[in-house]
Amino acid sequence: MSNSPLMKTFAETDIVDALIIGSGAGGAPLAAELARNGKSVVVLEAGPAFPATGHTPDEVAARELYWLHERLSAGTNPQAFGGNNSGTGLGGSMLHYGAFMPRMDARDFHLHTETGKGVDWPFGLDELLPYIERVESFIGVSGPAHYPWDPERRYAYPPPPANSAALKMREGCDALGLRHADGPAALITRDIEQPHFGTRHACANCGACHQGCRNGAKSGTDNTWLPMAVAYGAELRPGCFAHTIERDSSGRVTGVVYRQNGVEHRQKCASLVLAAGAVETPRLLLTNGLANNSGQVGQNYMTHVSTQVWGEFDEDIRPNRGYPSLTITEDMMRPKDADFVGGYLVQSLGMMPATWGQNLARSTTTRGPAFARALAGYNRSAGMGINGECLPRPENRVTLSDEKDAFGIPKPLIEHSYGPNEWAMHHHAARLLTQMWEAVGAKDIRVIDRAAHMIGTCRMGTDADSNVVNPVGRSFDIDNLWISDHSIFPSAAAANPALAIMALSLRTAEAMLKV
Amino acid sequence: MSHPPDRPEILDSDHLSTRTREILTSRLSVSTAQPRTLSLRAYAILDALLPVLLPLDEILPDSTDIAMTVRIDAALSGPRDGWRFADLPPDAEAWESALLTLDDVAAEQHGLAFIHLAPDLRGALLDAVMDGQIGLEHDGRLTASQMKRWSGDLRGEVVDCIMSDPRIQQALGISSSLTGGDTVFQGFTNVGPDSRESFEPKATAPLLQMADSSE
Ligand SMILES: Cc1cc2nc3c(=O)[nH]c(=O)nc-3n(C[C@H](O)[C@H](O)[C@H](O)COP(=O)(O)OP(=O)(O)OC[C@H]3O[C@@H](n4cnc5c(N)ncnc54)[C@H](O)[C@@H]3O)c2cc1C
Ligand code: SF4
Repeated sequence: MSNSPLMKTFAETDIVDALIIGSGAGGAPLAAELARNGKSVVVLEAGPAFPATGHTPDEVAARELYWLHERLSAGTNPQAFGGNNSGTGLGGSMLHYGAFMPRMDARDFHLHTETGKGVDWPFGLDELLPYIERVESFIGVSGPAHYPWDPERRYAYPPPPANSAALKMREGCDALGLRHADGPAALITRDIEQPHFGTRHACANCGACHQGCRNGAKSGTDNTWLPMAVAYGAELRPGCFAHTIERDSSGRVTGVVYRQNGVEHRQKCASLVLAAGAVETPRLLLTNGLANNSGQVGQNYMTHVSTQVWGEFDEDIRPNRGYPSLTITEDMMRPKDADFVGGYLVQSLGMMPATWGQNLARSTTTRGPAFARALAGYNRSAGMGINGECLPRPENRVTLSDEKDAFGIPKPLIEHSYGPNEWAMHHHAARLLTQMWEAVGAKDIRVIDRAAHMIGTCRMGTDADSNVVNPVGRSFDIDNLWISDHSIFPSAAAANPALAIMALSLRTAEAMLKV
Repeated sequence: MSHPPDRPEILDSDHLSTRTREILTSRLSVSTAQPRTLSLRAYAILDALLPVLLPLDEILPDSTDIAMTVRIDAALSGPRDGWRFADLPPDAEAWESALLTLDDVAAEQHGLAFIHLAPDLRGALLDAVMDGQIGLEHDGRLTASQMKRWSGDLRGEVVDCIMSDPRIQQALGISSSLTGGDTVFQGFTNVGPDSRESFEPKATAPLLQMADSSE
């Protein structure tokens, strides 16, 4: 795509209307939307352009899709990055994301008003919904004909077939009287011609979504927004690591210095959009000493409580087969017996063997023949996992460490500790999911305490004293600097994030067009 | 009982892409010349540690050596996974220090180098590491809490090495590499329980024979 002879290119001396750093969920929709409206756009992406056909289900080799510049993890719940929480390349983390695409719950926009804890968003679901629907219809999302928690909702594609874990979770829900459905999945289940891209094939149930989709079924930015951006004249520059943001005497951004193949380049721009994700965006601002009059850059780092519970069954489950996480229940969005605020979504989990084995290895201390037998149980294993609200806490943050990376830039230090709310939610989910697995005859049930996703660090809000960007993503301090990625979320909300990030990205683009 | 041959059958499946086949095949032959990352001493300790952590004799035939120590030592010098615990030094240094810590503690407690300890004593030391009971407070060694953290990295690294090995995948009947070939991307037609497709491997590991015969 990036090598397309048809792609327009800009000179470094051209002052492009918008320079965007990052081509994932936050950067790509905005690039397409600005280009479509006639703006000159350049996207700098640190990672390469991966041809989809070259993806491999081999989990070690597929690490090429991770952000591999080392991050330092601290706190009482130090977060694993790499495969769990990072991505690189044209397409960002969505190259290997799980494509689980629930919508944010309307209540999660107003958690503080509801509970006195956490923070409110500066707007509600009704504001974001039109953008959400645009995203769903453009990228392609499959889902059930009837969605129990939102009967009005419609999906353009029927769901893929339920794999073993999805079927087992249905039984577990039935046993405990919980509602369940096929979850919204950002993949297509019939061949289509994607505008500006070409043929995308129907999901082949290969199960390797986390290693990159080889046939274009999974809806990423690489097969949707980015080709659209190019079609309307945007230039994508892969392999370009941005590090220095340049400004004029009035403090406005004038351009960015980046490294490509070991050589420094400079691109001039009229406005700059940071879409590098919730660790690299604050890291860029902190290393450049920018946009931080609020003192909030890097603060309130959040994750999702992502407890998993695995069990072994008598049947041959083969957890690598089929779309990994089809079954959903939203019944825990506000559980009646909750001793925490907010809620969580439950999804079924299939998994590739090394990722599954890593979880097993790190969550137990068995060794010897017992360890070998546990690993040999792979083909009989099915899991369920949650995504739940994580409150912003001052001790959780991204700062610059004393160690430098290969570019001579400080490595980011990410401190992450659960508070009482996260632990209460974890224990609630561990109990519930264990009961569900017990009810359907699972053995060797194993609870894994883990957190996923990188959220917050450049909070969006109405007040310049406590927020980094305003409600449309514009910096309070520098008027031609915008942020469009997971870092602007004021609260974590329970839903997997990519849909809301893309919707916000379109909304920020619209605001930029009005300037 | 059939054992996986030296070249696992899954490598010849047309449900494997050329790239994936090359990646998996490269794991069958590794050069055993010199440790790439660890000192000779630390390498020998790792070599003595792996069998008590994860013995493979119930998974693979005795004659199959998947060269775990060589591959882990090499992996430590290759691209890592993009993060580390802030309270551990960089990976290569952490592994060297952890293994030497284990050796010093073995000498202190038993008057023997780690590699000369009987397997049950090696196992007991590893258990104590995982419990956070063993560490040293001087330069070039890890404290008990660092050793405990490192033991998670050790376990994770071993699992990556095992589960990505085509001989192990074949022996455990794992079809995760067989997502589709170059020209036809087959994926899977059957995805529910007890519905192995003909191209998917059947487990051959001795410890799974009982279970598999019920299929
Ligand atoms: C394994 C995994 C599974 C997931 N599953 C789901 C799921 O099922 N559903 C869901 O909704 N979400 C899922 N997510 C989360 C989702 O993918 C992310 O939340 C989303 O992609 C974040 O968007 P972003 O724009 O903030 O960052 P990203 O998509 O990560 O994009 C940031 C981009 O910026 C680039 N970049 C960073 N720094 C620089 C720099 N200095 N110069 C140039 N480029 C730079 C990076 O290389 C990267 O490509 C998953 C994530 C992972 C890792
Ligand atoms: S399961 Fe479907 S969407 Fe996922 S990688 Fe395979 S073909 Fe693509």
